[in-house]
Amino acid sequence: MDIFLEALFNIIDPITLIYMVIGVGAGLMAGSIPGFTIAMAIVLTLPFTFSMPPAQGLATMISVLVGGLSGGLMSGILTGIPGTPSSVATTFDGFPMARNGEPGLALGIGVWSSFCGGIISAVLLVLFAPQLAMVGLEFQPWDFFMLVMFALTVTASLAGEHLIKGLIAGAAGLLIRTVGEDEAVGVGRFDFGSDYLLTGFDFIAVLIGLFAFSQLLSDLRNPVTARNALSDRKQVKVKIEHRRAIAILIKNWVVVIRSALIGMFTGILPGAGGSIANILAYDQAKKAAKDDSKFGKGDPRGIIAPETSNNAVEGGALTPLMALGIPGDITAAIMLGALLMHDIVPGPTFIKDEPALAYSIYIAFFLASFIMIGMQSGVLRVFVLVTRIKTYVLATVILTFATIGVFALHNSIEDIWTLFFFGILGFVMRQLGFPLAPMILGVVLGNIAELNLARALAIDADPMLFFVRPWSLFFAIVAVFSMIFPIYQKHRDTGSLIERLFSPLVLLSLSLPLFMMGGFLRTTLAIAAIAISSFILWRRFGSSKSKV
Amino acid sequence: MTLNRDSLIALCLIMMCGGLMLASFEIREPDYGVLSPAAWPRLIIIIISILSVIYLLQSIGMPKEDKDAVPRKTIGEFIFYWRNVIAVFSIFAVYLITLPYLGMLIGNVLFSFILLTVLGGWSSILMHLLVALGASGGMWFLFTFALEVFLPRGSLTGL
Repeated sequence: MDIFLEALFNIIDPITLIYMVIGVGAGLMAGSIPGFTIAMAIVLTLPFTFSMPPAQGLATMISVLVGGLSGGLMSGILTGIPGTPSSVATTFDGFPMARNGEPGLALGIGVWSSFCGGIISAVLLVLFAPQLAMVGLEFQPWDFFMLVMFALTVTASLAGEHLIKGLIAGAAGLLIRTVGEDEAVGVGRFDFGSDYLLTGFDFIAVLIGLFAFSQLLSDLRNPVTARNALSDRKQVKVKIEHRRAIAILIKNWVVVIRSALIGMFTGILPGAGGSIANILAYDQAKKAAKDDSKFGKGDPRGIIAPETSNNAVEGGALTPLMALGIPGDITAAIMLGALLMHDIVPGPTFIKDEPALAYSIYIAFFLASFIMIGMQSGVLRVFVLVTRIKTYVLATVILTFATIGVFALHNSIEDIWTLFFFGILGFVMRQLGFPLAPMILGVVLGNIAELNLARALAIDADPMLFFVRPWSLFFAIVAVFSMIFPIYQKHRDTGSLIERLFSPLVLLSLSLPLFMMGGFLRTTLAIAAIAISSFILWRRFGSSKSKV
Repeated sequence: MTLNRDSLIALCLIMMCGGLMLASFEIREPDYGVLSPAAWPRLIIIIISILSVIYLLQSIGMPKEDKDAVPRKTIGEFIFYWRNVIAVFSIFAVYLITLPYLGMLIGNVLFSFILLTVLGGWSSILMHLLVALGASGGMWFLFTFALEVFLPRGSLTGL
C-alpha cells in the first residue's frame, strides 16, 4: 500500500500533472496530423524527459502515447484522412457518419471507445504483467537471447513479402549497436581510429534520425504537397456528443470487449501494433455483426472496434516490456530507451525491484486516459488551426526542435551528426522498401542480445543449449515459424500443402518444449496442442482423401 | 544480363559485409572474457551476408515487369525529382559544419529561415523570418532557461 501511495503521489504531483496534460495535448495533435506519427512524437519527447525523475518522464511519455493513439480519430473522422496508421479503419465508418451530418456523434463514439480501450488494457496490464514477469523469472541467458531473436524475426515477418529485407534491417540494427566500445571488455569496435565512432552512436539520436528525420524527409519529398496544408477549413463547429456516444457504447459492449482483447493481444506480439489491431478488430466486428449492411456507411460499430483496439494495443505492448524487458512495438521500444536512459533495466525482476515505478506506469496509463477525454474538445479547435499550417513549415519547426532535443541528450554536437547520418539512412531505407521497425528493435535490443549471449557462453560454452533448453527452444520454434508465416499467408485459401500443414505443425512443434517444461498446466497444454493438431490434420487430410 | 535496383542493393550489401568482416579482424582480442569482442559482430555480418545473397537471388529471379518497374532517370531529372530532399540534406550539413562558429541560436534561426525559404519559396519570406525567429528563439529560450540545458555558443558570434 505504501508503494502504491508513493507511486500515486509521484503522478499526482502538480508538475507531473502539468507535464501529463501537455503530453496528452501534444500526443493528440501529433496523432491527428497525417504524416506525423505517434512514435515520432514520443521519440521527440524523449530528450525533454532526460532531466526529469524517471516516474515523471515516463508519465509524460505515456501521456503523449495515449493522446497520440486517440488523436488519429479526429483527422480520420473530420477529413477522411487517417492521422495515424492505427486509425485507418476508423475512417471507414467515421467519415461517412460525419458526412451524414453527425460528426459530433462520430467523434464522441471514437473518443469514448479510445477511453474504454485504454482503461481495459490498463486493467489487463496490471493483471498480466506481474504474471508474465513470474514466468520470466524462469528465463536464463539462453532464453533471453532467443527471445530477442524471436522479437526480431516476428517484427521482420510483418514486412510480408519483404521478409528478407525485414531480416536484413533487424540484423543491421544489431550491427549498428556494436559500433564503439564493447560493454563487456571495453574494446573498441569499428571505430576506424575515430573518437566519434569509439564512443558509439547514442541510440536515442539513432532512433530520432531513423524515425523522425527520415519521416520528415518523406513528407517533404514532393514539392507540391509540401507546400499544401492538410485542410483549408477555417473553423469547425462540432460539439462532441458524449451522452449519446456512451449509450451506444453500452449497447455494443461486446464489440468493446472483443476489440480491446484483440488490441491487447496484438500489442503483446513484438512488432504488431495498432496499425494491424484496428483492421483486425474492424474485420471481426463486421464478421460478427448479424446485419453488416451498414458497415462502411457510418455504422457505430465500425468506429468502436478500431478505436477501442488501437488504444488497447499499448497496454499489450507495455506488458512484455515491463515483465521481460522486451518491447511489444516501436513506441514501447522507445519507452525502453527512456528507462535505460535513467539506468533502469526492465526485466522479470523490474516490477519486484522497482515497484513504485511500475505502479507509476500503471497509474499514469489510467490517468492519461481521463485527461484525454477532458482535452479532446479543446484540442479539436487547435487541430483545425494546425491543419491549416503548411507541411514544410511544420516539418522545419519539428526538425529544428529535434536538433536541439538531440543535442540536449549529452550536450554533444556529435549526436546531431548521428541524427543526420541516420536520418539519411532511414530515408534511403524507406525509399528502398526496407522496414524500419526491425532495425529500431535491433538497435534497442542489440546490447541485451550480446550481453545474454556472453553470459550464456560464460556459464556453458555448448551452443546446443540454445536449442535444447525448453524456453529457448520454444522461442526458436516460434521464430522459425514467424519467418515461414509470410509464405503461409501467400498460400492461404489455395489448398496448398503449406496451408494445410502450417497450423498443426506449429502446435505439434510447440508441444515439445511445453512437455520439457513439465508441471501440470504446461503438460496439459502440450497434450491439448497435440490433440488439436492431430484433429486438424485428420480433418484436412482425411476429408481430402474422402473426396478422392 | 541487366541488374535491377534490388540486385544492386544486394551487391552493395555483400560488399559492405566483406569490408566490415575485414574490419572485424582489426578488433583487438583481449586475454580475458569468454566471448571475443569480434565474435558477435562477425556473427551478425555472416547473417547479413547470407540474407543478402538470398536477396540477390530473389531479385535476379524477379519477373521482368518488376525489373522494369523503376523508371530510369537522367541525372538532371533525378536532382529535380529529389530537390527538396537534397536541399534539406545540404542545408542541414552546412548548418552542422557552421554550428561551432555560429552557435545554436544564430545557427538554428538561419537554418530554419533558409530551409523554409528554399522549400516554400520567396513569396512568404516575412512569414518565414517570423517562424524562424519564433520557433528557434522560443526553443532556445525554453531549453536554456526552463530546462537549463547549456546550448553551444558560436566562436564567431559569442551567442
